[in-house]
Amino acid sequence: MKTVFKIENLDLFYGEFQALKNISLEIEKNQVTALIGPSGCGKSTFLRCLNRMNDLIESCKIMGDVAYHDENVYDRDYDVIGLRTKVGMVFQNPNPFPMSIYDNIAYGPRCQGIKDKKRLDEIVHTSLEKAALIDEVKDRLNDSAMGLSGGQQQRLCIARAIAMEPEVILMDEPTSALDPIATLKIEELMNDLKKDYTIVIVTHSMQQAARISDKTAFFLMGELIEVDSTDTIFTQPKNQKTEDYITGRFG
Amino acid sequence: MSNKRKRIDLLYQGLTYFASSIAVIALSMIFIYVFRNGSDLLDFGLLVNDYHAEYYNADIEGNITYSTTPAPDGLEDNMYYSDKWGIAFEDTENREGKNVIRVVYIAEDSPMRDLNDKNNETSDTFGIEEGNIVTAIKFDDKASALPIYGAEHMINELDASDDFREIVFTSLGGGIRGSIISTLYVIGMSLLFSLPIGVFTAIYLNEFAPKNRVTNTLRSMVEVLTGVPSIIFGLMGLAVFVPLTVRYTSATSGNLISGSLTLGVILLPVIIRATEESLKVVPDALRNASLALGANHTQTTFKVVLPNALPGIMTATLLAIGRIIGESAALIFAIGTAVKDDISIFGKSTTLAVHIWSLMTDEPANIELASTIAVVILLIVLILNISVKLISMRYRKRYE
Ligand SMILES: Nc1ncnc2c1ncn2[C@@H]1O[C@H](COP(=O)(O)OP(=O)(O)O)[C@@H](O)[C@H]1O
Ligand SMILES: [Mg+2]
Repeated sequence: MKTVFKIENLDLFYGEFQALKNISLEIEKNQVTALIGPSGCGKSTFLRCLNRMNDLIESCKIMGDVAYHDENVYDRDYDVIGLRTKVGMVFQNPNPFPMSIYDNIAYGPRCQGIKDKKRLDEIVHTSLEKAALIDEVKDRLNDSAMGLSGGQQQRLCIARAIAMEPEVILMDEPTSALDPIATLKIEELMNDLKKDYTIVIVTHSMQQAARISDKTAFFLMGELIEVDSTDTIFTQPKNQKTEDYITGRFG
Repeated sequence: MSNKRKRIDLLYQGLTYFASSIAVIALSMIFIYVFRNGSDLLDFGLLVNDYHAEYYNADIEGNITYSTTPAPDGLEDNMYYSDKWGIAFEDTENREGKNVIRVVYIAEDSPMRDLNDKNNETSDTFGIEEGNIVTAIKFDDKASALPIYGAEHMINELDASDDFREIVFTSLGGGIRGSIISTLYVIGMSLLFSLPIGVFTAIYLNEFAPKNRVTNTLRSMVEVLTGVPSIIFGLMGLAVFVPLTVRYTSATSGNLISGSLTLGVILLPVIIRATEESLKVVPDALRNASLALGANHTQTTFKVVLPNALPGIMTATLLAIGRIIGESAALIFAIGTAVKDDISIFGKSTTLAVHIWSLMTDEPANIELASTIAVVILLIVLILNISVKLISMRYRKRYE
């Protein structure tokens, strides 16, 4: 199996506070990797290392290796923009731009200099198709994205990420702001998407991790306690803390 | 204990009622005063007429064909008509409050429509027009008919004569077209200067500038500038912009450009702050979404952040226009106080607010016309405020 991300000895500080402690982890191609753990354990922080969104936080200092296809993304002259076009991100709260549905999806490609109307039309359509949103919005592509429901907005954000033709999609609790039905739709969607994309998903819900992921990593207080195939983690965890967490004894 | 609490609550409540009623009373008194004094003169003519009356001396040449049109319907008691000359006069007051005789009607076939302009012999279509003020009709064989004797006397004198030597009349004057146009020019030019600079400065401060002491100092300097009285900016305009424009343009003293630049400087801090406020409220979630899609900082700023701040910037602009319309202190220095009808951006001129100032420093003060201009200003401000509301409402509908 091909490794997409290889993280080695990653330490991360917010000022004095160490949020990630010596993390080593590999992300495999076309797999869904779930990051679980109680809140504040550093899941989002870890996820943001993969597309360098932590750069925006001034107090944040990083040590160690985050290798994307064998290149450390934290090298001084690494092409961050290029990284972010290959590694897309979906946030916890749906955050469509206050523009039309079409413009939302065309935004990324346009920023990369794609202007050809036909090409953009095509990108918008295939992205919406892949995000299972096309039927709901095909007659109102020029309406504001703000008029969509929460679940639709989140699928739009997924479509927006897909429009960049990324290799990896990072998702930070993408369903925590959604109702159960919308959540179900997104989970179905993720099952489709893993054929074409490598997905790293932070989730609060162990059921969700169990349902959709191939590999699960359990974080606790900035440490990576255990990582294994999802089946193993949920049936025979090696670490006592993992077992306590998945059996609901804390967290 | 609880009784005491209740009394204190009541006292506080009472204070808020009291304060708000004083505010309401003060505001309504201003409105009532201005409207009572100013509404009489308010008409369309005022807005489109020249301020300075044009003088005409005219006589009538050749064979006169008298009018045959009977008196029109609807002539009021103070209006008098001459069948023979086909013209009606009325006693009225001009915009300065002086008693004058005004032409209220001219028949189609009136000989008064075809006069000879003594000051401009070449003009062949010249005549007296409705709304003109007649200051004298001079006859060969008798004393001149003058306004002090009233419209009835003048029309009788005219009716009794077959000819006259000269008629002297003026346009109505007292209009504020020039001041309105100057105000529009000043609005346009000062925004042209301050809006782009202000908006881009705000973008720099909020989106690009490193978060350090230099930036913060810059920001507090902007804040201080907002509180500086405009008359100080006016002095600066006089000291800097007037000489500058005099040197490099055809201007000879205070002019519209130096005034607009001065106002532009006054507006800069206002626009910078309002824009910064509206940039600050753009959610970081949108910035992150854009960056995560591989957009760079500049693209994020101009494609996502700025459009989202636009309604705030619009509001700032409209408030700035309100400020321009109301400003007088600074402009008295930087533009001058001359009321002009032919507006040139290099020439002296005056905005509506300064026009009020000039009228009130005249001897005697023309309170009526000043109040009328005040009404016009109030109406403009009112319209602006409503537009601000409409814009923000429409925007909210679109994006919520
Ligand atoms: N921008 C930040 N500045 C300082 N501390 C932060 C910041 N973001 C997160 N943290 C801290 O880092 C720890 C991990 O946070 P986070 O990665 O958001 O956890 P999780 O996503 O697992 O809930 C928390 O203790 C949190 O308080
Ligand atoms: Mg989180």
